[in-house]
Amino acid sequence: MNSERRVRLWALVANVAQGGTVGVDHVCAVSVSATGVDAAAVAVTLRATPREVLYASDRTASDLEELTLTLGEGPCVDAITGGPGLVADLAAPQCRARWPAFAPAAVLAGVHAVFALPLQVGGIRLGVLDLYRARSGGLDGEQLADALALADTACAVLLDGGERDRSAPDEGRPEQVGLQHPEVHQATGMVTVQLGVTAAVALIRLRAFAYSHDRRLRDVAGDVVARRLRFDPTDDTQVGGAG
Amino acid sequence: MAEIQLSDVFVEMADTLVDDFDVLEFLHVLTERCVQLLGVSAAGLLLTDQQGTLQVVAASSERTRLLELFQLQTDQGPCVDCFRTGRPVSVVDLSATGRWPRFTAAAAEVGFAAVHALPMRLRSEVIGALNLFDSQPGALDEGRLYIGQALADVATIGLLQQRAIHRRDILTEQLQTALNSRVLIEQAKGVLAERLQVDVGEAFALLRSGARSHNRRLSDLAQAIVDGSEPLPPQPPAGRPG
Repeated sequence: MNSERRVRLWALVANVAQGGTVGVDHVCAVSVSATGVDAAAVAVTLRATPREVLYASDRTASDLEELTLTLGEGPCVDAITGGPGLVADLAAPQCRARWPAFAPAAVLAGVHAVFALPLQVGGIRLGVLDLYRARSGGLDGEQLADALALADTACAVLLDGGERDRSAPDEGRPEQVGLQHPEVHQATGMVTVQLGVTAAVALIRLRAFAYSHDRRLRDVAGDVVARRLRFDPTDDTQVGGAG
Repeated sequence: MAEIQLSDVFVEMADTLVDDFDVLEFLHVLTERCVQLLGVSAAGLLLTDQQGTLQVVAASSERTRLLELFQLQTDQGPCVDCFRTGRPVSVVDLSATGRWPRFTAAAAEVGFAAVHALPMRLRSEVIGALNLFDSQPGALDEGRLYIGQALADVATIGLLQQRAIHRRDILTEQLQTALNSRVLIEQAKGVLAERLQVDVGEAFALLRSGARSHNRRLSDLAQAIVDGSEPLPPQPPAGRPG
């Protein structure tokens, strides 16, 4: 089930991090082994630049990221603003039609399948987790589910930064960012207004608050929605130094 | 009488299914029509996130406790069973079943006595379920079950937009996009709730009427509100300070 998948994948990620702070590089490493692809990369969207590669697992991944950046098209571009781009065969005519520059260039670089998973939480667009494979063909159901769960993990890692003590594998497991608890997203919206910040920063502050008060995110969010808790822009001590 | 209404609803749904339509608004209207046509108290649509969990994407009412009740079924409940088996699940009297203690207690607390779940199927794949609650115990008769399943099928068609989805990949792309749009709606509800000092249920009504009156997609307006690029929030209710 879902939570078992998350526990299993987080244990793998924590293992790769060897007790240190988990970064997107560790998530990429597990993405490669879990989904049977050859390479992975995480690119983020920042205000100043449209796309910045945070990590690429090997030369192929960095070449493909470079291609995406140079050509300004491809599934990894579409995934930043849209949904996942799961492309089983870049040599297929419809792929060439859709990405006339990127598709042939990627094939020339030895990549036939690309799976671009948005790192997004509703209106918060953090970036994209790109998986590359030389062989054409789709991900099977298990691999796809793992890939989506790992994209969720990458989101959490980006949002939490180096905040957490990762010494105990399960202790450090970040709360997932999906739809399970709508109050988390409602509270995010409310905090953007309370603090006058972007939704990304609001969510970071909520998560940091929950973590530093040793509470569950959904409970903190529930308090915000019920107006039992307000975030105060003048109070820096409230939120454990996030943002 | 009921049949006239039914045909009206199907015409309405068919009219909506044009290019570039608003999926979330469509699903929302569909849940409202379920309530009206089937005479139940509440309806909700839950979709798989492709990781084996169901998530609420639309409900006939945005009452927080109702949404929580739908969401509770991410772990246990008739909806989960329906999703797993791909078959309708009907519980005509919740007080007489001991199968899902946590769900049953929560449903009773909100005042529901019966629950029905109908699968949303795309060929062999089950992508979610239509969940119906009733405050009175009792079964859905043959006719209403039939209509309910037809509405669940219409929801599936609307959700997947393209008429010919053969690949799991496209299915995943569409489902993930719909689920993320729902998160976006929740964020926008929060922004409006705080800006206008209303509760989140009211915020949804404002978001929806704003999208309708400006002929914009719910998700587009929600994105603009979350980004802060929407200068004017939809009209606050009369008598409240903006």
